[in-house]
Amino acid sequence: MERSLVAFDQNFSGAVGDFPVLLRRKGLLAPAAANPVPQDRTPQKMWQPTEATTILAFKFSGGVLVAGDRRATAGNTVVYDRADKVLEIDRHSIMAIAGVPATAWEMARVLEHSFQYFRRTQLQEMSVDGKVRALSKLLRDNFGFVMQGVGVVVPIFATYDSHPKPEARLYFYDAMGAQFEATDYAATGSGSPAVRGILFYENNWGAKPLQELGEDEAVSIALRALDTASQSDTATGGVDRGGKIYPLIKIVSRDGITTLPESKIAAVFKETVA
Amino acid sequence: MIEEPYRWVEAIANRREYIEAQLAPGSPIAALGYRDGILFLTVSQSRQKIFEVYDRIAMGAIGHPGDIERLRMAAIELASTEGFTRSAADVSLRRLVHYSLSPVMKNAFEQVYGAPYLARMLFAEVGERPEEDLFLRVEYDGEIATNGATYAQARQDFAALSGTQQSREQMEALLATEHAQDANLETVLNSALDAWSIGHMTLQTDDAKEPPERAAVRKHRQEQLTNAGIEAALLERDASRAIRYRSLSDKELRPLIRD
Repeated sequence: MERSLVAFDQNFSGAVGDFPVLLRRKGLLAPAAANPVPQDRTPQKMWQPTEATTILAFKFSGGVLVAGDRRATAGNTVVYDRADKVLEIDRHSIMAIAGVPATAWEMARVLEHSFQYFRRTQLQEMSVDGKVRALSKLLRDNFGFVMQGVGVVVPIFATYDSHPKPEARLYFYDAMGAQFEATDYAATGSGSPAVRGILFYENNWGAKPLQELGEDEAVSIALRALDTASQSDTATGGVDRGGKIYPLIKIVSRDGITTLPESKIAAVFKETVA
Repeated sequence: MIEEPYRWVEAIANRREYIEAQLAPGSPIAALGYRDGILFLTVSQSRQKIFEVYDRIAMGAIGHPGDIERLRMAAIELASTEGFTRSAADVSLRRLVHYSLSPVMKNAFEQVYGAPYLARMLFAEVGERPEEDLFLRVEYDGEIATNGATYAQARQDFAALSGTQQSREQMEALLATEHAQDANLETVLNSALDAWSIGHMTLQTDDAKEPPERAAVRKHRQEQLTNAGIEAALLERDASRAIRYRSLSDKELRPLIRD
Protein backbone atom coordinates (compact mmCIF):
# COMPACT_ATOMS: atom_id res chain seq x y z
CA MET A 1 0.00 0.00 0.00
CA GLU A 2 1.27 3.44 -0.84
CA ARG A 3 1.97 5.46 2.24
CA SER A 4 -0.01 8.61 2.71
CA LEU A 5 1.98 11.84 2.68
CA VAL A 6 0.73 12.69 6.10
CA ALA A 7 0.66 9.83 8.55
CA PHE A 8 -0.22 10.17 12.18
CA ASP A 9 1.87 8.34 14.66
CA GLN A 10 -0.37 5.55 15.91
CA ASN A 11 1.55 5.26 19.15
CA PHE A 12 1.36 8.93 19.79
CA SER A 13 1.30 9.57 23.50
CA GLY A 14 0.47 13.24 23.54
CA ALA A 15 2.95 13.71 26.33
CA VAL A 16 5.49 15.25 24.00
CA GLY A 17 5.29 19.00 24.06
CA ASP A 18 8.78 19.73 22.82
CA PHE A 19 8.69 21.77 19.63
CA PRO A 20 12.43 21.57 18.73
CA VAL A 21 12.16 17.76 18.88
CA LEU A 22 9.22 17.90 16.47
CA LEU A 23 11.14 20.19 14.12
CA ARG A 24 14.15 17.86 14.15
CA ARG A 25 11.93 14.85 13.48
CA LYS A 26 10.60 16.64 10.41
CA GLY A 27 14.08 17.78 9.40
CA LEU A 28 13.26 21.46 9.83
CA LEU A 29 15.93 22.27 12.42
CA ALA A 30 19.65 21.54 12.35
CA PRO A 31 20.46 18.57 14.59
CA ALA A 32 22.17 19.32 17.87
CA ALA A 33 25.91 18.72 17.60
CA ALA A 34 26.55 15.46 19.41
CA ASN A 35 30.15 16.27 20.21
CA PRO A 36 30.83 19.97 20.12
CA VAL A 37 34.53 19.56 20.90
CA PRO A 38 36.58 18.47 17.88
CA GLN A 39 38.30 15.10 18.06
CA ASP A 40 41.88 16.38 18.46
CA ARG A 41 40.70 18.28 21.54
CA THR A 42 41.87 21.63 20.23
CA PRO A 43 39.20 23.98 18.95
CA GLN A 44 39.63 24.67 15.23
CA LYS A 45 39.65 28.32 15.98
CA MET A 46 40.21 29.96 19.31
CA TRP A 47 36.80 31.07 20.39
CA GLN A 48 36.56 34.77 20.94
CA PRO A 49 33.52 36.41 22.39
CA THR A 50 32.30 38.50 19.47
CA GLU A 51 28.91 39.55 20.75
CA ALA A 52 29.33 42.99 19.29
CA THR A 53 26.49 45.00 20.78
CA THR A 54 25.15 46.22 24.12
CA ILE A 55 22.03 44.89 25.77
CA LEU A 56 20.93 45.79 29.26
CA ALA A 57 18.01 44.99 31.49
CA PHE A 58 17.12 45.96 35.02
CA LYS A 59 14.17 45.79 37.37
CA PHE A 60 12.47 49.06 38.28
CA SER A 61 9.20 49.96 39.99
CA GLY A 62 7.13 49.23 36.86
CA GLY A 63 8.59 45.80 36.00
CA VAL A 64 11.69 45.00 33.94
CA LEU A 65 13.15 47.42 31.43
CA VAL A 66 15.06 45.87 28.54
CA ALA A 67 17.08 48.09 26.23
CA GLY A 68 19.36 47.44 23.29
CA ASP A 69 21.30 49.60 20.88
CA ARG A 70 20.52 49.18 17.20
CA ARG A 71 23.86 48.76 15.49
CA ALA A 72 24.70 45.57 13.62
CA THR A 73 28.33 45.07 12.68
CA ALA A 74 30.48 42.70 10.66
CA GLY A 75 34.06 43.13 11.78
CA ASN A 76 34.78 46.83 11.53
CA THR A 77 31.86 47.58 9.25
CA VAL A 78 28.53 48.90 10.42
CA VAL A 79 26.03 46.83 8.45
CA TYR A 80 22.74 48.13 9.72
CA ASP A 81 21.75 50.86 12.14
CA ARG A 82 18.14 49.88 12.88
CA ALA A 83 18.50 46.29 14.07
CA ASP A 84 16.01 44.97 16.63
CA LYS A 85 17.83 43.05 19.29
CA VAL A 86 15.03 43.15 21.84
CA LEU A 87 12.52 40.55 20.72
CA GLU A 88 9.07 39.68 22.06
CA ILE A 89 8.65 35.95 22.57
CA ASP A 90 5.17 35.89 24.04
CA ARG A 91 2.82 38.25 25.86
CA HIS A 92 5.05 38.41 28.94
CA SER A 93 8.50 37.39 27.75
CA ILE A 94 11.32 39.25 26.07
CA MET A 95 14.57 37.84 24.73
CA ALA A 96 17.31 40.37 24.11
CA ILE A 97 20.31 39.18 22.15
CA ALA A 98 23.97 39.83 21.74
CA GLY A 99 25.71 37.72 19.16
CA VAL A 100 25.20 36.46 15.65
CA PRO A 101 21.82 37.72 14.42
CA ALA A 102 21.03 34.77 12.15
CA THR A 103 21.32 32.28 15.01
CA ALA A 104 19.69 34.59 17.53
CA TRP A 105 16.62 35.35 15.42
CA GLU A 106 16.20 31.67 14.57
CA MET A 107 16.43 30.88 18.27
CA ALA A 108 13.81 33.50 19.09
CA ARG A 109 11.54 32.01 16.45
CA VAL A 110 11.96 28.48 17.76
CA LEU A 111 11.37 29.71 21.28
CA GLU A 112 8.24 31.66 20.38
CA HIS A 113 6.75 28.64 18.62
CA SER A 114 7.85 26.31 21.43
CA PHE A 115 5.89 28.19 24.06
CA GLN A 116 2.78 28.34 21.90
CA TYR A 117 3.09 24.73 20.84
CA PHE A 118 3.34 23.69 24.47
CA ARG A 119 0.29 25.71 25.48
CA ARG A 120 -1.81 24.41 22.59
CA THR A 121 -0.90 20.75 22.92
CA GLN A 122 -0.67 20.47 26.70
CA LEU A 123 -3.58 22.88 27.36
CA GLN A 124 -1.61 24.87 29.93
CA GLU A 125 0.90 27.69 29.89
CA MET A 126 4.56 26.69 30.17
CA SER A 127 6.00 27.63 33.56
CA VAL A 128 8.63 30.36 33.78
CA ASP A 129 11.21 27.78 34.82
CA GLY A 130 10.29 25.72 31.78
CA LYS A 131 10.69 28.72 29.48
CA VAL A 132 14.05 29.65 30.98
CA ARG A 133 15.21 26.07 30.56
CA ALA A 134 13.97 25.93 26.95
CA LEU A 135 16.27 28.80 25.99
CA SER A 136 19.12 27.20 27.89
CA LYS A 137 18.62 24.00 25.90
CA LEU A 138 18.70 25.87 22.58
CA LEU A 139 21.97 27.51 23.58
CA ARG A 140 23.44 24.17 24.59
CA ASP A 141 22.40 22.65 21.26
CA ASN A 142 24.05 25.55 19.49
CA PHE A 143 27.38 25.18 21.28
CA GLY A 144 28.91 23.14 18.47
CA PHE A 145 28.65 26.19 16.23
CA VAL A 146 30.09 28.41 18.94
CA MET A 147 33.17 26.18 19.15
CA GLN A 148 33.56 26.45 15.40
CA GLY A 149 33.71 30.18 15.79
CA VAL A 150 30.29 30.94 14.32
CA GLY A 151 26.86 31.40 15.80
CA VAL A 152 27.60 32.60 19.31
CA VAL A 153 24.55 34.00 21.08
CA VAL A 154 24.45 35.41 24.61
CA PRO A 155 20.90 36.42 25.52
CA ILE A 156 19.02 38.03 28.35
CA PHE A 157 15.55 36.75 29.14
CA ALA A 158 12.99 38.90 30.97
CA THR A 159 9.53 37.73 31.91
CA TYR A 160 6.68 38.26 34.33
CA ASP A 161 5.86 35.32 36.55
CA SER A 162 2.32 35.23 37.92
CA HIS A 163 2.84 31.96 39.84
CA PRO A 164 3.36 31.52 42.72
CA LYS A 165 4.29 35.07 43.62
CA PRO A 166 3.60 37.73 40.98
CA GLU A 167 6.95 39.32 40.13
CA ALA A 168 9.19 40.26 37.26
CA ARG A 169 12.04 37.85 36.63
CA LEU A 170 15.30 38.46 34.83
CA TYR A 171 17.86 35.92 33.58
CA PHE A 172 21.13 36.07 31.72
CA TYR A 173 22.98 33.25 30.02
CA ASP A 174 26.43 32.34 28.88
CA ALA A 175 27.11 30.93 25.42
CA MET A 176 27.00 27.35 26.70
CA GLY A 177 23.51 27.71 28.10
CA ALA A 178 24.11 28.21 31.80
CA GLN A 179 21.37 30.41 33.19
CA PHE A 180 21.72 32.89 36.01
CA GLU A 181 18.87 34.74 37.65
CA ALA A 182 19.67 38.41 38.14
CA THR A 183 18.36 40.12 41.25
CA ASP A 184 18.65 43.68 39.96
CA TYR A 185 20.25 44.03 36.55
CA ALA A 186 21.99 42.23 33.71
CA ALA A 187 24.02 43.31 30.71
CA THR A 188 25.55 41.47 27.79
CA GLY A 189 27.51 42.21 24.65
CA SER A 190 30.83 43.88 23.93
CA GLY A 191 29.78 47.18 25.53
CA SER A 192 28.52 45.54 28.69
CA PRO A 193 31.51 46.16 31.03
CA ALA A 194 30.82 49.90 30.98
CA VAL A 195 27.09 49.32 31.45
CA ARG A 196 27.63 46.94 34.34
CA GLY A 197 29.76 49.58 36.03
CA ILE A 198 27.07 52.22 35.64
CA LEU A 199 24.25 49.98 36.83
CA PHE A 200 26.25 48.82 39.84
CA TYR A 201 27.06 52.42 40.73
CA GLU A 202 23.46 53.60 40.29
CA ASN A 203 22.08 50.70 42.28
CA ASN A 204 24.39 51.25 45.24
CA TRP A 205 25.20 54.94 45.34
CA GLY A 206 22.77 56.55 42.91
CA ALA A 207 19.81 58.76 43.87
CA LYS A 208 17.82 55.59 44.62
CA PRO A 209 18.18 51.85 44.01
CA LEU A 210 17.20 50.68 40.51
CA GLN A 211 14.16 48.79 41.84
CA GLU A 212 12.63 52.04 43.11
CA LEU A 213 13.02 54.08 39.92
CA GLY A 214 10.01 55.48 38.08
CA GLU A 215 9.64 54.85 34.36
CA ASP A 216 11.20 58.11 33.13
CA GLU A 217 14.14 57.78 35.51
CA ALA A 218 14.69 54.21 34.39
CA VAL A 219 14.62 55.18 30.70
CA SER A 220 17.06 57.98 31.42
CA ILE A 221 19.55 55.63 33.07
CA ALA A 222 19.22 53.10 30.25
CA LEU A 223 19.96 55.80 27.66
CA ARG A 224 22.92 57.15 29.61
CA ALA A 225 24.34 53.67 30.04
CA LEU A 226 24.06 52.82 26.33
CA ASP A 227 25.53 56.17 25.34
CA THR A 228 28.44 55.56 27.70
CA ALA A 229 29.02 52.11 26.22
CA SER A 230 29.06 53.53 22.71
CA GLN A 231 31.83 55.95 23.65
CA SER A 232 34.44 53.21 23.93
CA ASP A 233 32.83 50.31 22.08
CA THR A 234 32.65 50.73 18.31
CA ALA A 235 30.12 47.94 17.98
CA THR A 236 27.54 49.75 20.10
CA GLY A 237 25.38 52.35 18.42
CA GLY A 238 24.20 54.22 21.51
CA VAL A 239 22.08 57.18 20.50
CA ASP A 240 22.59 58.42 16.96
CA ARG A 241 22.09 62.15 17.42
CA GLY A 242 22.40 63.01 13.75
CA GLY A 243 20.24 60.21 12.40
CA LYS A 244 17.77 60.44 15.32
CA ILE A 245 18.04 56.71 15.95
CA TYR A 246 17.27 55.74 19.52
CA PRO A 247 17.79 52.46 21.34
CA LEU A 248 14.88 50.03 21.47
CA ILE A 249 13.32 49.94 24.92
CA LYS A 250 10.64 47.50 26.06
CA ILE A 251 9.06 47.05 29.46
CA VAL A 252 7.67 43.80 30.85
CA SER A 253 5.03 44.19 33.54
CA ARG A 254 1.99 42.39 34.89
CA ASP A 255 -0.08 43.74 31.98
CA GLY A 256 2.29 42.42 29.33
CA ILE A 257 4.91 44.08 27.16
CA THR A 258 4.99 47.73 26.17
CA THR A 259 7.32 49.08 23.54
CA LEU A 260 8.19 52.67 24.33
CA PRO A 261 7.43 54.96 21.40
CA GLU A 262 10.40 56.75 19.89
CA SER A 263 8.85 60.13 20.71
CA LYS A 264 8.87 59.30 24.40
CA ILE A 265 12.48 58.08 24.34
CA ALA A 266 13.46 61.18 22.39
CA ALA A 267 11.80 63.42 24.99
CA VAL A 268 13.58 61.76 27.91
CA PHE A 269 16.84 61.86 25.98
CA LYS A 270 16.50 65.56 25.23
CA GLU A 271 15.68 66.40 28.81
CA THR A 272 18.17 64.29 30.75
CA VAL A 273 20.92 63.00 28.48
CA ALA A 274 21.74 65.23 25.53
CA MET B 1 -13.45 -11.65 3.13
CA ILE B 2 -12.98 -8.08 1.95
CA GLU B 3 -11.41 -9.19 -1.31
CA GLU B 4 -14.96 -9.51 -2.56
CA PRO B 5 -16.36 -6.07 -3.42
CA TYR B 6 -19.77 -6.77 -1.95
CA ARG B 7 -18.27 -7.85 1.38
CA TRP B 8 -16.21 -4.68 1.47
CA VAL B 9 -19.27 -2.49 0.95
CA GLU B 10 -21.08 -4.42 3.64
CA ALA B 11 -18.16 -4.06 6.05
CA ILE B 12 -18.02 -0.33 5.44
CA ALA B 13 -21.78 -0.02 5.99
CA ASN B 14 -21.50 -1.90 9.29
CA ARG B 15 -18.65 0.28 10.35
CA ARG B 16 -20.61 3.42 9.50
CA GLU B 17 -23.57 2.21 11.52
CA TYR B 18 -21.30 1.41 14.46
CA ILE B 19 -19.58 4.81 14.42
CA GLU B 20 -22.87 6.69 14.07
CA ALA B 21 -24.19 4.87 17.13
CA GLN B 22 -21.05 5.74 19.07
CA LEU B 23 -21.24 9.42 18.14
CA ALA B 24 -25.01 9.76 18.66
CA PRO B 25 -24.97 10.91 22.31
CA GLY B 26 -22.38 13.63 21.61
CA SER B 27 -23.41 17.00 23.01
CA PRO B 28 -23.83 19.61 20.25
CA ILE B 29 -21.33 22.38 19.50
CA ALA B 30 -22.28 25.65 17.78
CA ALA B 31 -19.89 28.10 16.12
CA LEU B 32 -21.19 31.54 15.16
CA GLY B 33 -19.43 34.30 13.30
CA TYR B 34 -20.22 37.81 14.46
CA ARG B 35 -18.94 41.38 14.32
CA ASP B 36 -15.90 40.86 16.55
CA GLY B 37 -15.00 37.27 15.78
CA ILE B 38 -16.27 33.72 16.05
CA LEU B 39 -17.90 32.21 19.13
CA PHE B 40 -17.58 28.49 19.84
CA LEU B 41 -20.03 27.15 22.39
CA THR B 42 -21.18 23.95 24.01
CA VAL B 43 -22.71 23.02 27.32
CA SER B 44 -20.64 20.30 28.80
CA GLN B 45 -20.83 18.00 31.73
CA SER B 46 -17.40 16.48 31.53
CA ARG B 47 -14.30 16.96 29.43
CA GLN B 48 -13.09 19.85 27.32
CA LYS B 49 -14.42 19.88 23.76
CA ILE B 50 -13.23 23.18 22.32
CA PHE B 51 -9.54 23.68 21.55
CA GLU B 52 -7.05 26.18 20.13
CA VAL B 53 -5.26 24.92 17.01
CA TYR B 54 -3.29 27.90 15.75
CA ASP B 55 -3.30 31.70 15.78
CA ARG B 56 -6.60 32.05 13.89
CA ILE B 57 -7.91 28.48 14.04
CA ALA B 58 -9.96 26.65 16.66
CA MET B 59 -11.75 23.32 16.74
CA GLY B 60 -14.57 21.56 18.55
CA ALA B 61 -15.02 17.82 18.50
CA ILE B 62 -17.24 14.99 19.64
CA GLY B 63 -16.25 11.34 19.75
CA HIS B 64 -13.72 9.18 21.51
CA PRO B 65 -11.29 11.27 23.58
CA GLY B 66 -8.31 9.21 22.41
CA ASP B 67 -9.11 9.77 18.74
CA ILE B 68 -9.92 13.44 19.24
CA GLU B 69 -6.58 13.85 20.96
CA ARG B 70 -4.65 12.25 18.09
CA LEU B 71 -6.39 14.40 15.49
CA ARG B 72 -5.99 17.52 17.59
CA MET B 73 -2.26 16.88 18.01
CA ALA B 74 -1.87 16.23 14.30
CA ALA B 75 -3.66 19.48 13.44
CA ILE B 76 -1.52 21.50 15.87
CA GLU B 77 1.67 19.83 14.63
CA LEU B 78 0.89 20.55 11.01
CA ALA B 79 -0.15 24.14 11.66
CA SER B 80 2.83 24.86 13.93
CA THR B 81 5.47 23.49 11.57
CA GLU B 82 3.89 25.34 8.65
CA GLY B 83 3.78 28.55 10.69
CA PHE B 84 7.39 28.08 11.74
CA THR B 85 8.88 27.31 8.34
CA ARG B 86 6.81 29.85 6.42
CA SER B 87 4.70 32.33 8.34
CA ALA B 88 1.54 32.41 10.41
CA ALA B 89 -0.27 33.92 7.42
CA ASP B 90 0.50 30.79 5.39
CA VAL B 91 -1.29 28.50 7.80
CA SER B 92 -4.62 27.88 6.13
CA LEU B 93 -7.49 25.87 7.55
CA ARG B 94 -8.64 24.87 4.09
CA ARG B 95 -5.30 23.29 3.26
CA LEU B 96 -4.97 21.71 6.71
CA VAL B 97 -8.30 19.94 6.41
CA HIS B 98 -8.49 19.20 2.70
CA TYR B 99 -4.96 18.00 2.10
CA SER B 100 -3.89 16.64 5.47
CA LEU B 101 -6.67 15.56 7.80
CA SER B 102 -9.37 14.41 5.41
CA PRO B 103 -7.27 11.91 3.39
CA VAL B 104 -5.91 10.31 6.55
CA MET B 105 -9.38 9.96 8.06
CA LYS B 106 -10.81 8.49 4.89
CA ASN B 107 -7.94 6.06 4.71
CA ALA B 108 -8.42 4.89 8.30
CA PHE B 109 -12.15 4.55 7.75
CA GLU B 110 -11.82 2.37 4.65
CA GLN B 111 -9.10 0.07 5.96
CA VAL B 112 -11.59 -2.31 7.46
CA TYR B 113 -8.94 -4.28 9.37
CA GLY B 114 -7.70 -1.15 11.13
CA ALA B 115 -9.43 1.19 13.53
CA PRO B 116 -11.26 4.25 12.19
CA TYR B 117 -11.21 7.62 13.92
CA LEU B 118 -14.23 7.87 16.18
CA ALA B 119 -14.55 11.60 15.89
CA ARG B 120 -16.49 14.35 14.21
CA MET B 121 -14.87 17.77 14.18
CA LEU B 122 -15.78 21.36 13.54
CA PHE B 123 -13.01 23.79 12.59
CA ALA B 124 -13.23 27.53 12.21
CA GLU B 125 -10.79 30.15 10.96
CA VAL B 126 -11.46 33.80 11.69
CA GLY B 127 -11.10 36.17 8.76
CA GLU B 128 -10.35 39.87 8.51
CA ARG B 129 -14.02 40.49 7.75
CA PRO B 130 -17.04 38.33 8.67
CA GLU B 131 -17.42 37.34 5.00
CA GLU B 132 -14.02 35.68 5.20
CA ASP B 133 -14.77 33.45 8.18
CA LEU B 134 -14.36 29.81 7.27
CA PHE B 135 -16.14 26.88 8.91
CA LEU B 136 -15.32 23.27 8.06
CA ARG B 137 -16.97 20.16 9.42
CA VAL B 138 -14.99 16.95 9.05
CA GLU B 139 -16.66 13.57 9.45
CA TYR B 140 -15.07 10.32 10.60
CA ASP B 141 -14.85 9.15 6.98
CA GLY B 142 -13.03 12.26 5.84
CA GLU B 143 -16.13 13.90 4.37
CA ILE B 144 -15.94 17.70 4.50
CA ALA B 145 -18.76 20.23 4.67
CA THR B 146 -18.11 23.97 4.51
CA ASN B 147 -20.14 27.06 5.21
CA GLY B 148 -21.15 27.59 1.63
CA ALA B 149 -18.02 28.41 -0.25
CA THR B 150 -19.55 26.50 -3.14
CA TYR B 151 -21.95 27.70 -5.85
CA ALA B 152 -24.75 25.49 -4.67
CA GLN B 153 -25.60 27.09 -1.37
CA ALA B 154 -25.83 30.52 0.15
CA ARG B 155 -22.95 31.44 2.41
CA GLN B 156 -23.60 30.93 6.10
CA ASP B 157 -21.72 32.53 8.95
CA PHE B 158 -22.33 29.71 11.40
CA ALA B 159 -21.82 25.98 11.71
CA ALA B 160 -23.13 23.24 13.97
CA LEU B 161 -21.90 19.85 15.07
CA SER B 162 -23.98 17.22 16.80
CA GLY B 163 -24.36 13.51 17.49
CA THR B 164 -26.99 12.94 14.80
CA GLN B 165 -27.73 14.49 11.44
CA GLN B 166 -31.28 15.32 12.50
CA SER B 167 -30.06 17.21 15.54
CA ARG B 168 -27.54 19.15 13.48
CA GLU B 169 -30.16 20.09 10.90
CA GLN B 170 -32.48 21.43 13.61
CA MET B 171 -29.64 23.58 14.91
CA GLU B 172 -28.80 24.86 11.44
CA ALA B 173 -32.45 25.65 10.73
CA LEU B 174 -32.69 27.66 13.93
CA LEU B 175 -29.47 29.53 13.28
CA ALA B 176 -30.45 30.30 9.70
CA THR B 177 -33.42 32.31 10.97
CA GLU B 178 -32.10 33.60 14.29
CA HIS B 179 -28.48 34.50 13.64
CA ALA B 180 -27.37 37.79 12.11
CA GLN B 181 -23.77 38.42 11.12
CA ASP B 182 -23.59 41.91 12.60
CA ALA B 183 -24.74 40.79 16.06
CA ASN B 184 -22.79 41.51 19.22
CA LEU B 185 -21.41 38.96 21.69
CA GLU B 186 -24.48 38.97 23.91
CA THR B 187 -26.80 38.24 21.00
CA VAL B 188 -24.66 35.48 19.48
CA LEU B 189 -24.21 33.91 22.89
CA ASN B 190 -27.97 33.60 23.26
CA SER B 191 -28.41 32.32 19.69
CA ALA B 192 -25.69 29.75 20.32
CA LEU B 193 -27.36 28.61 23.53
CA ASP B 194 -30.69 28.29 21.70
CA ALA B 195 -29.01 26.26 18.97
CA TRP B 196 -27.34 24.03 21.53
CA SER B 197 -30.63 23.49 23.34
CA ILE B 198 -32.61 22.58 20.24
CA GLY B 199 -29.82 20.21 19.18
CA HIS B 200 -29.67 18.64 22.61
CA MET B 201 -33.48 18.20 22.77
CA THR B 202 -33.52 16.55 19.36
CA LEU B 203 -30.88 14.07 20.48
CA GLN B 204 -33.13 12.98 23.33
CA THR B 205 -36.26 12.38 21.26
CA ASP B 206 -36.18 9.71 18.60
CA ASP B 207 -39.00 10.77 16.32
CA ALA B 208 -38.99 14.54 16.35
CA LYS B 209 -40.42 15.44 12.95
CA GLU B 210 -41.36 18.96 13.89
CA PRO B 211 -38.95 21.31 15.61
CA PRO B 212 -39.77 21.75 19.31
CA GLU B 213 -41.77 24.78 20.42
CA ARG B 214 -39.84 27.92 21.24
CA ALA B 215 -41.03 27.93 24.84
CA ALA B 216 -39.95 24.33 25.28
CA VAL B 217 -36.48 25.16 23.97
CA ARG B 218 -36.14 28.01 26.46
CA LYS B 219 -37.30 25.80 29.28
CA HIS B 220 -34.85 23.04 28.31
CA ARG B 221 -32.05 25.56 28.15
CA GLN B 222 -32.80 26.89 31.64
CA GLU B 223 -32.96 23.40 33.10
CA GLN B 224 -29.69 22.32 31.52
CA LEU B 225 -27.85 25.46 32.55
CA THR B 226 -28.69 24.95 36.20
CA ASN B 227 -26.54 21.83 36.43
CA ALA B 228 -24.03 22.08 33.61
CA GLY B 229 -21.35 24.58 32.67
CA ILE B 230 -20.97 26.64 29.51
CA GLU B 231 -17.78 25.91 27.64
CA ALA B 232 -16.98 28.65 25.17
CA ALA B 233 -14.09 30.22 23.30
CA LEU B 234 -13.60 33.17 20.99
CA LEU B 235 -11.53 33.70 17.90
CA GLU B 236 -11.20 37.46 17.98
CA ARG B 237 -11.21 39.49 14.80
CA ASP B 238 -8.98 42.17 16.35
CA ALA B 239 -5.86 42.07 14.19
CA SER B 240 -3.65 43.90 16.66
CA ARG B 241 -2.46 40.67 18.22
CA ALA B 242 -1.36 37.46 16.58
CA ILE B 243 -3.09 34.93 18.81
CA ARG B 244 -6.84 35.31 18.47
CA TYR B 245 -8.01 32.39 20.58
CA ARG B 246 -9.39 33.17 24.01
CA SER B 247 -11.40 30.81 26.16
CA LEU B 248 -14.38 32.28 27.99
CA SER B 249 -15.31 31.20 31.47
CA ASP B 250 -18.78 30.21 32.54
CA LYS B 251 -18.70 33.02 35.09
CA GLU B 252 -17.95 35.59 32.40
CA LEU B 253 -20.89 34.47 30.28
CA ARG B 254 -23.69 33.93 32.80
CA PRO B 255 -24.53 37.65 33.18
CA LEU B 256 -25.05 37.91 29.40
CA ILE B 257 -27.74 35.24 29.27
CA ARG B 258 -31.27 36.47 28.53
CA ASP B 259 -33.97 34.28 29.99
